[in-house]
Amino acid sequence: MATPIDTDALVIGAGPVGLFQAFQLGLQGIACHIVDALPHVGGQCAELYADKPIYDIPGIPVCTGRELVERLQQQIAPFKPTLHLGQTVQSLQATGDGRWAVSTNTGTAWTAKTVFIAAGVGAFVPRSLPIEGLAPHMGQQVWFASSPLPDFAGQHLLVTGDSDTALQTCLDAVGTAASVTLMHRREHFSAEPARLEAFRAAQAAGQVRFVAGQPTGLVTEGESLNALRYLNAEGTETDLPCDHLVMALGLSPKLGPVADWDLQIERKQLVVRTDTFATSAAGIFAVGDINTYPGKKKLILCGFHEATLAAFGAAAHLWPQDKTLLQYTTTSTTLHRRLGLI
Amino acid sequence: MTHVVTENCIRCKYTDCVDVCPVDCFREGPNFLTIDPDECIDCAVCIPECPANAIFAEEDLPADQQHMIKLNAELAQLPTWKSITKRKAPLPDADEWKDKTGKLAELVR
Repeated sequence: MATPIDTDALVIGAGPVGLFQAFQLGLQGIACHIVDALPHVGGQCAELYADKPIYDIPGIPVCTGRELVERLQQQIAPFKPTLHLGQTVQSLQATGDGRWAVSTNTGTAWTAKTVFIAAGVGAFVPRSLPIEGLAPHMGQQVWFASSPLPDFAGQHLLVTGDSDTALQTCLDAVGTAASVTLMHRREHFSAEPARLEAFRAAQAAGQVRFVAGQPTGLVTEGESLNALRYLNAEGTETDLPCDHLVMALGLSPKLGPVADWDLQIERKQLVVRTDTFATSAAGIFAVGDINTYPGKKKLILCGFHEATLAAFGAAAHLWPQDKTLLQYTTTSTTLHRRLGLI
Repeated sequence: MTHVVTENCIRCKYTDCVDVCPVDCFREGPNFLTIDPDECIDCAVCIPECPANAIFAEEDLPADQQHMIKLNAELAQLPTWKSITKRKAPLPDADEWKDKTGKLAELVR
């Protein structure tokens, strides 16, 4: 594992509340790192609501999830938080000197004076096919579309899913793979029109084919995967030979290790006090959908409030001898300096 | 507070919901899925996944489905109703039963 990064603050989760947490920490003069399981920022706003409208952000009558994330990125830009994307925090432990040792599945590690858990409903992880025996073939012949894929030159490729990613994975392999097949339970795709058109053209040209089916199992010989077994449209079990299987089935959130971090939990949500949004452990704060307190409402705008008070709480925790002053961004030269305006 | 599976699920059991549940709170019976109210964290991610529109937040539950709050909790405690965390094929005649109402008598425990 790499040498841990020393930081005053680590934010776990780059959803809207995690991003705004970085803003509020910035106003307090606290630099932070942000870590997220997804390869991009935005959390649920990017993954579940990217093109759907949000009407209850104060001062913004309507915006999509994606637009909100873009605006938040602009807003936090002056504070230059360090982003660590595509990795999931696995462990969080006290160091014994009042700090927290945090590490991810890819080996990044921090020693943080304060930690902000803004993990929403958990880390988004790729969905896999509901069939047995995938594990030994992962990274050999079975892949998630969201992870780096090998070169399929000369190989028979089978992709499952109905998304943009599924279609694009097929199109990327056209010309090099020996054959490209897409399987989904029915020939209906939830993809952007341009990509669908490109896929239809490749299909018409015989470069890719579509098979309607419900995967039921793997056909293996020794350690090697030979085919995917599936129920076809007529309900008959059939084998489709393939060298590689790529699962493009989207992402779903999993709360995962947060529940194991020895913090006070109620129904899998972190219990916080409402003056600082501190958890039961000193220096660890929880904001957004992952926390619970009397009257909790899972709204983005409530998360913004929580992040604001948590940043004040963090300042008091980091510098207990100093009084944390309330300053206005309109008039404070200190805040203007932090915002890079002067 | 919890989320509740209503009668719309009976004899359909599409199981799209279980894939997205971050806390694995769905339990599976012969022809119905139920939510364990002690596990559900009200994240609402499952609601739009259900092809039969069977899932509601407790406070949004239609008046004629109020009995399902108690029933969900009861079924979740049955030892034969096991946790289901991965999507599987819906019941064979799911599409035929999808929009039918008053299916409570069809529920198999």
